[in-house]
Amino acid sequence: MRTTTRAVSVALLALTALTACSSGADDGAAGAGDTASGGACEPAGEPVTLTYTTWIPGIEDVVATWNEANPDIQVEVQTGPNGNGGTYQNFFNQLEAGNAPDLGQIEYDALPNFRVQDGLVDLGACEEVVAAKDQFVDWTWQQVQLGEEDSVYAIPQDAGPMALFYRADLFEQNNIPVPTTWEEFATAAEQVRAAGGYITNFSQADINQFAGLVWQAGGSWFENDGEQWTVDLTNEESVKVASFWDDLIERDLVSTYPGWTTEWDNAYNSGEVWTWNSAVWGANSIATGAPDTAGRWAVAPSPQWEDGDASAGNWGGSTTAVFQGTEHPYEAAKFALWLNTSEEALTALIEAANLYPATTDGAQLPALAEGVEFYGGQPIYDVFAEASEQVSPDFVWGPTMTQVYNDVSDGFSQAITGGGTLTEALESAEGTTVSALEAQAIPVAK
Amino acid sequence: MTAPTTGTSTTGRSTNGGAVPDLAGPGSSGTARRTPDRRSGSGPQESRVSRTVAMTVMVVFTVYFLVPIWWLLVAATKARGDLTTTNALWFSDMNLLENLAATTGYGGGVLPRWLLNSVLYAGGGALLGTLLAGMCGYALAKYRFPGRELVFNVVLGGVLVPATALALPLFLLFSQINATNTFWSVFLPSIVSPFGVYLTRIFAASAVPEELLEAARLDGSGEVRTFFTVAVRLMFPALVTVFLFQFVAIWNNFFLPLIMLRDEALFPVTLGLYNWNTQVNQVPELRLYVLTGALLSIVPLIVVFLLLQRFWRGGLGSGALK
Amino acid sequence: MSSAALPGRRRVSRVAHKRAIAVFVAPFAALFTLFYLLPIAYAVFQSTRVVEREGTFGPPREVFGGLTQYAQALQSSPFWDSIGRVLLFGIVQVPVMLALALVFALLLDSPLVRGRRFFRLAFFVPYAVPGVIAAIMWGFLYSPNLSPFRPLTQSVDLLSAELVLWAMANVVTWVFVGYNMLIIYSSLLAIPAEVYEAARLDGASQVRIAWSIKIPLVMPAIILTAIFSIIGTLQLLAEPQVFRTFSSAVTSTFTPNLLVYSTASVPNVPLAAAFSVLLALATFVLSFTFLKVTQRKAFQ
Repeated sequence: MRTTTRAVSVALLALTALTACSSGADDGAAGAGDTASGGACEPAGEPVTLTYTTWIPGIEDVVATWNEANPDIQVEVQTGPNGNGGTYQNFFNQLEAGNAPDLGQIEYDALPNFRVQDGLVDLGACEEVVAAKDQFVDWTWQQVQLGEEDSVYAIPQDAGPMALFYRADLFEQNNIPVPTTWEEFATAAEQVRAAGGYITNFSQADINQFAGLVWQAGGSWFENDGEQWTVDLTNEESVKVASFWDDLIERDLVSTYPGWTTEWDNAYNSGEVWTWNSAVWGANSIATGAPDTAGRWAVAPSPQWEDGDASAGNWGGSTTAVFQGTEHPYEAAKFALWLNTSEEALTALIEAANLYPATTDGAQLPALAEGVEFYGGQPIYDVFAEASEQVSPDFVWGPTMTQVYNDVSDGFSQAITGGGTLTEALESAEGTTVSALEAQAIPVAK
Repeated sequence: MTAPTTGTSTTGRSTNGGAVPDLAGPGSSGTARRTPDRRSGSGPQESRVSRTVAMTVMVVFTVYFLVPIWWLLVAATKARGDLTTTNALWFSDMNLLENLAATTGYGGGVLPRWLLNSVLYAGGGALLGTLLAGMCGYALAKYRFPGRELVFNVVLGGVLVPATALALPLFLLFSQINATNTFWSVFLPSIVSPFGVYLTRIFAASAVPEELLEAARLDGSGEVRTFFTVAVRLMFPALVTVFLFQFVAIWNNFFLPLIMLRDEALFPVTLGLYNWNTQVNQVPELRLYVLTGALLSIVPLIVVFLLLQRFWRGGLGSGALK
Repeated sequence: MSSAALPGRRRVSRVAHKRAIAVFVAPFAALFTLFYLLPIAYAVFQSTRVVEREGTFGPPREVFGGLTQYAQALQSSPFWDSIGRVLLFGIVQVPVMLALALVFALLLDSPLVRGRRFFRLAFFVPYAVPGVIAAIMWGFLYSPNLSPFRPLTQSVDLLSAELVLWAMANVVTWVFVGYNMLIIYSSLLAIPAEVYEAARLDGASQVRIAWSIKIPLVMPAIILTAIFSIIGTLQLLAEPQVFRTFSSAVTSTFTPNLLVYSTASVPNVPLAAAFSVLLALATFVLSFTFLKVTQRKAFQ
């Protein structure tokens, strides 16, 4: 028995020794705590090394530019799968274990989730951050304040204002007017179907897209008055959008391929599907997924609910957040600001990853001003710059969006495969969301 | 004859070699081993009809098992445009070398690094894991000591624990000593093979005769030395089997690395390819790289199978006995 | 420890080769304790926690909550649905897979088949394909637009709600038949030829020999493969996770393990831990019951 005990402790010691020797990649900060939460945003006064986790393709080169110019603030990049593909889960684990990176990529919709887990450093104490407010498109800044006047929980990086991509050639050949309202869209859907195509594809897993449609319609799924949360997936606008698509799905006027699959690519590439009401980064998705249709696409503002309205939804977009446990919030914020506001960084990000900057100046960069060949030479980013200004600042994300997406998406899948409707899916997801919040002891209004 | 129960069988009764999933040959209980060759020469009574039926079944299923792999091989030779437009089961323009170059060069040549990592995790992990499991299984089979059955039962219980249940707490435990995102955080947990203990115990019980150990003792050989000189040789088929299964298990595992690792340079190839697969939306050429990479990641395993195949017929372990 | 006249001396000294036993057992025991027992204990601990906080963004505090999470887990209908789904999967897929594996093993062991080495390897090769990659590959093969077998996949939607479970079963079968076949085959090789030499001389057919002699003798191997298959079925994760990306019908709670993963990413770690513990218990009960039932039938 004694031998066993000793053997176990020896093994433990050996383990510790082994790992201690090899933990070069580790960041020393153990024990998430109030290192930075309270307010101070002071320079360290010595060279620091920051870790930054992201899934932006080609980010290494952008960071190398920064490292070259800032020998005292070196940044190490670590890449992972996209947020819901595993990186968020890792962030949560790391926060719980107290070894999160200094900086991380977080999409707007996940910020409240990290805030609720007490994972974000409030950069409201960093003067340079507060001063940068005016550089950003208004709604993006609202998104990172999470409803608190003096707080800033992340630096906006990119945005996904939505507009309508459409096959200009097919609409013209078939004499179908490009819809400017959703009513016209439904009429056009019938005509397109009669011509043998589908006006668009409704993919049940892209709940963010659906949320963008609700956002455009002026609805919001969550409210937070500082005391408690209100969950309202079935608000008037949300139900209006759901019924609209329920109708199109039921009448077989839209296709329902799962998004981002080869079949989905194929549906666009073969001309089966004619439009996509999508975010600015969708421009690249079409260009690469449907190479045979080059030159035949164009972009128009999203259809409106009321004739003459001018509102746009948003789909996606990320921020750069500073995690609790960092010892260098000042340097981290400085890097995040450079990454997301400087011309050189933004130009590099546009080229490497097709990011659409969240700053007003960034949207005017030369890289975004030219006509795009794939879209028949149309300067499509002008349409999106306009849309970005029309995105409502009032849309609020909830604190458990991963769960909401899963539950809504599960319900939408059923609706598409013939069991129930989108509206019913929203109703049931509202119920599960309330229980999910209660399970986390987050106060919810009934 | 008993079933391989969760440890309730005593050594004496569980000597049925048939319970041993043994790639390398039978856990012989002392009888001369039949070779397939010996049998194929016999039996003119087998009719032409049953031969034809049997061969047809085998050929049909060979197609079933190999077509997806053939498809992968073909896909890896195609340019991206051809992937969806040409016959999926036959070659179009040969683009294999370009694909290999592009795939291995993407992201600063990180794929070869992943393959190397996988070889280290799986090769090193399986080797060490097999050794430890073999030693433990041998001791459980050949020595009597209090708590022996308890140890065995607890270890067998370990087979039943879901991977998801282990991975998360493991991450938090490794965090306590600041050791996540290291080679060891993936390597060390992978070398534990409860199944290996089970297998080697049953095998050692039947394949390593007491007399041989006693003889070694009389010769003055220490217990540990006897294990390495006598027992390992006799247990070799089981050890090869454990090694192979552990190698495959580690090679295929991506859940633990997904949770443990942040540094791309430490990824095994499965996690790396999964990573690429989630980025296909942004970087569509990755779809082809995932397929080419998948092919590259299967090749080493097939090589291992082929290399170890000679042990399937070798008859090591049984021949040495009588 | 000295061998002075302690009361327990005789019992202790009966264990021979204590040092050797320690050397053999300790390394594995240490690692097993660290990487199996400790995490399990930790998961059980986590499953007894509940979260408390003040206000909408108050920092979360974990406190002891007894069996709260278990009560919640047992009331969760997605949990029961997912268990029901894998049970249905297992009841169909495991017997089919094992029957195929047994037939192949018997054929390989019979004089009817030539080219054994080739078939053995060909059938075993899919086992080399990691689950994630196998699922991606089959995803292509099932696709209505891109599959090489379009005539089939266009007329039958293999990824629909009704069929996707069986599409997945096919992937699992494809990967594991060869593995199970080898286990059974090697135990067939272990049967001494004399055992059925007499039957052969009496002119019994291969089918007859297989049915009345070989199968009963390799029953332990079949049961072993069955138990591992049951465990594997309850722990399905990689296949449904990949299938989610191309099938509408695979939900985030499709299998118990996927449910654990989705719950953990909320993040609701205590509830996820409770699900895991329940799943491990269910696995244990099922394999144990199976063992008991088959033992009674097959071995007495």
